[in-house]
Amino acid sequence: MAQGSVVKEQKYDRQLRLWGDHGQEALESAHVCLVNATATGTEILKNLVLPGIGSFTIVDGNVVSGEDVGNNFFLHKGSIGKSRAQTSMELLQELNEDVTGNYVAENPDQLLDNDPSFFCKFTLVIATQLSESTLLRLAETLWSSNIPLLVCRAYGFVGYMRIIVREHTVIESHPDNALEDLRLDQPFSELREHLQLYDLNHMERKDHSHTPWIIVVAKYLGTWHKENAGQIPKSYKEKEAFRDFIRQGILKNENGVPEDEENFEEAVKNVNTALNTTKVPSNVEDIFIDERCKNITQQSSDFWILARAVKEFTACEGKGNLPLRGTIPDMIADSDKFIKLQNVYREKAKNDASTVENYVSKLLQSVGRPPESISEKDIRLFCRNCAFLRIVRCRSLEEEYGVDTAKKDDIVSFMENPDNEIVFYLMMRAVDRFHKQHGRYPGVYNYQVDSDFGKLKTCLNSFLQEYGLSLSVKDDYIQEFCRYGAAEPHTIASFLGGAAAQEAIKIITKQFVIFNNTFIYNAMLQTSATFQL
Amino acid sequence: MAVTGALRTELAEAVSSCRVLVVGAGGIGCELLKNLLLTGFSNLDVIDLDTIDVSNLNRQFLFQKKHVGRSKAQESVLQFCPGASITAYHDSIMNVEYDVEFFRKFTLVMNALDNRAARNHVNRMCLAADVPLIESGTAGYLGQVTVIKKGVTECYECQPKPTQKTFPGCTIRNTPSEPIHCIVWAKYLFNQLFGEEDADQEVSPDTADPEASWEPTEAAQRANASNEYGDIKRVSTKQWAKSTGYDPVKLFNKLFKDDIRYLLTMDKLWRKRKAPVPLDWASLHNSEKDSTEQNNASSVGLKDQHVLDVAGYAQLFSQSVETLRDQLSEKRDSAELVWDKDDPPAMDFVTSAANLRMYIFSMNMKSRFDIKSMAGNIIPAIATTNAVISGLIVLEGLKILSGNIEQCRTIIKEKFGMVAPDVQIEDGKGTILISSEAGETEANNNRKLSDFGIRNGTRLQADDFLQDYTLLINVLQSEELEKDVEFEVVGDAPEKAPQKPLEEGAKGITNGSDDGAQPSTSTAPEQDDVLIVDSDEESPSSSSDVSMETVTLKRKLPDEEAVSNKRKRMEPSAEQEDDIIALD
Repeated sequence: MAQGSVVKEQKYDRQLRLWGDHGQEALESAHVCLVNATATGTEILKNLVLPGIGSFTIVDGNVVSGEDVGNNFFLHKGSIGKSRAQTSMELLQELNEDVTGNYVAENPDQLLDNDPSFFCKFTLVIATQLSESTLLRLAETLWSSNIPLLVCRAYGFVGYMRIIVREHTVIESHPDNALEDLRLDQPFSELREHLQLYDLNHMERKDHSHTPWIIVVAKYLGTWHKENAGQIPKSYKEKEAFRDFIRQGILKNENGVPEDEENFEEAVKNVNTALNTTKVPSNVEDIFIDERCKNITQQSSDFWILARAVKEFTACEGKGNLPLRGTIPDMIADSDKFIKLQNVYREKAKNDASTVENYVSKLLQSVGRPPESISEKDIRLFCRNCAFLRIVRCRSLEEEYGVDTAKKDDIVSFMENPDNEIVFYLMMRAVDRFHKQHGRYPGVYNYQVDSDFGKLKTCLNSFLQEYGLSLSVKDDYIQEFCRYGAAEPHTIASFLGGAAAQEAIKIITKQFVIFNNTFIYNAMLQTSATFQL
Repeated sequence: MAVTGALRTELAEAVSSCRVLVVGAGGIGCELLKNLLLTGFSNLDVIDLDTIDVSNLNRQFLFQKKHVGRSKAQESVLQFCPGASITAYHDSIMNVEYDVEFFRKFTLVMNALDNRAARNHVNRMCLAADVPLIESGTAGYLGQVTVIKKGVTECYECQPKPTQKTFPGCTIRNTPSEPIHCIVWAKYLFNQLFGEEDADQEVSPDTADPEASWEPTEAAQRANASNEYGDIKRVSTKQWAKSTGYDPVKLFNKLFKDDIRYLLTMDKLWRKRKAPVPLDWASLHNSEKDSTEQNNASSVGLKDQHVLDVAGYAQLFSQSVETLRDQLSEKRDSAELVWDKDDPPAMDFVTSAANLRMYIFSMNMKSRFDIKSMAGNIIPAIATTNAVISGLIVLEGLKILSGNIEQCRTIIKEKFGMVAPDVQIEDGKGTILISSEAGETEANNNRKLSDFGIRNGTRLQADDFLQDYTLLINVLQSEELEKDVEFEVVGDAPEKAPQKPLEEGAKGITNGSDDGAQPSTSTAPEQDDVLIVDSDEESPSSSSDVSMETVTLKRKLPDEEAVSNKRKRMEPSAEQEDDIIALD
């Protein structure tokens, strides 16, 4: 966001509030490839072009048909017979002058034959409406070069998405109900020193009622600690008792009536969260024991080097705790007291991050990378978020499709409810088989709907048999899929376009957590489900 | 068209012949128009009062930079789908000419609005005209779609919505205690100085504050304490400001020194509160040099997200006053400026004035970015959520047209969840059933509810301290539950616990409305009643304490107590069940 950043800041104001300027930067340096400019495909791209993705390339060997014009906003009557890649690219680019559009009017199969490395230059590849064999080839190419692939499909009133990525690491997972990192159960020495400055029993009334609640809780906890053999309140009863203990500290006026001290009320209200035990969350422990954290090599990504550095910190200086987050919530207090307390946390977090930085430099040196190749800013961001790190590892498409590696037991157990969304997955596999055998999808023309029913059922059964899946699918679903005739209703494309673009933004910005690995949407009942296939 | 494959013939005909009103051509509206036309709807009316702003362009794809300033309604329909008949109105739907007769002309009404007043209005008109309404809204990653049909579903106003937070005048004028109070004050001040004066938006100290309750003898003292003030008071703030030629220094000293000194004389106000500290332009500028200790952590990131120091805001205040004065004088006589969060000088003015006041009242100052959120009631809006929601609106529309109104669902993207519940019996003794502390109540897991004296009608209180969320559970007894169903929740499951305001501010769903002064996240914890009908069938207790339901409710009442208690439904559960669609 170098030049024209003011205009951009204005234009992207609303979304910067969600993913921040570094998220926006990641978006603006991304290059996304769309395979096939179907209605779903262009809807996804629209939702990436509007927020300002860096560039996109459309790969599509088809020419625009009348049917395309009927459900695709980015194609019009005048473009019938022209390259679908080119026309849709031109209209999509009109949406945002900051975005660069490219197109390749070739079939993906041709590209995979002649230049498979073509697909390996993208940040992310999104594929729609590919035949099973092409999809498997594309997936294999991208899997081996570690490029994420997002497969999307609107089939009648059913939506399908599959994310295929070996490993996706998330620093900013934006948890919904994150607890503050206050360390009141194990106050660090700087906090203990700061607490010494306060003597709640000998204070002016004004100061007493403007003391931050964190200090109030910490002070009373110290006393409790002494009186209860070094324990902190753990059970509900003890916590209630501790609350009463704090309440008794509220100043009373000359008539013995407690004063209105909002900071004490805040303290009482926050007892439960503030007393949360400080420990390394299990998701982070899993990361610490991961092989990739243990073996740092030249190939290790910044994420793993940082994770390893934090692990070393935790084991050593942190005495079992992660680097301090360094933020405290807003609270009732006067500015002076608040800022001093805030600085205690901030300084400690800064020091922790510098210690981590030393580990990072050492690790970088050990693999022959310059010590400054991970910036201080990134180290701080990582430390601030280290309690929320997430890793998503998806299975490859090859594993999902392999007769020996498919998740057969899971599928059978999901199908104990014959209306489970997994039935749509089975039906899509069946229509793909139909397509392979007959060179077309079932029920594309109305007169075929009835005659294709039996054929589709045969395809379904042969699929189930091949995989040894002993289950039955209701005829209604087979009938319904024949009726769809592989139509791609625009409104389903719109829904899927929004949902898929959101996942794409998560993959690109590495913020928030992507689903793993299959998402199915049933538009008839407005239900959806995710599966690990 | 391609969709006929998926739509049954009768439905396809209904789609192409019916007339639909789309209210709003903003984020959802743009998507919705596109979806309707490409689904085969060809008879549309669209109405929107707004003109296009730069900050719309990240999602409202029917508009481009060259359209900024033009009518949303008219611009949105110009370009595409020449075959369809679309009527555009650049107007407010709340205008009287859009009466019940007008609404009756439509088969369906779809709301794509951003404020509650208009939503309420359209809701009432649709009920009066008996036309089905599809209501929708988005906020960040969240969104919702609801079908409203007279006599069949709840209407938009059946459930009370958190109302716009209003603040008592004296809080704004005399005793602000939260940043939002200072921001509201600064917006009022803008209007008092440059915009339309409004008696309800007074910014000077309020001498009628009941809390201040003056003693007559002290009045003279006070009058002496602020001589200058006495002169100013007789004329309006605007007249006075004009008479000084909008001199930034004079304005500054009046607002942030003299007015504050005057407030200090109302000493009753400050007995329990921390008293404000007046600022002085001259001394502020002398000490400017040693105010080098900037907020160290905020040296990276966007300019908007930095918090300046006091001197910086004093400077910004003075600059913005001068800019606004020039803007005002460029207009003809008696013309006024209108506050707009997307107008940089106006936003600078509110940022600086609000921050100076926050400083005076010992609050932590806020960045321009945060103040914009709060002052403009900004709800983060992105293309993806709008796309999802408008897809859903059309699907609901199709269901209505195919005559399946009972199939329509209220779709919300997230529901409630308890993170770490503590459950106690409301028996006066506070017997604890479940504790958030691991291990503390494990012994209870194999006991029956009756062992705790829980029977039909017992009230349980579940507290989730992590979320500051309390749920009252009335246990009812039933013998008629289906097999394997161990309990049933009657009545509405409450919405998710109000989230604590996060550092970044606004999160949480507010139906895309921008009429709440604060995001609904900051509302006080509400108490929701949930009724649970319990079956008397014995079942093995689960050992986990993951969720409230699995633990509490698997402990069953023994048979003898069940005899007299047939299933009682205390509350009809007439509403459709909420479906959860997890989109992220």
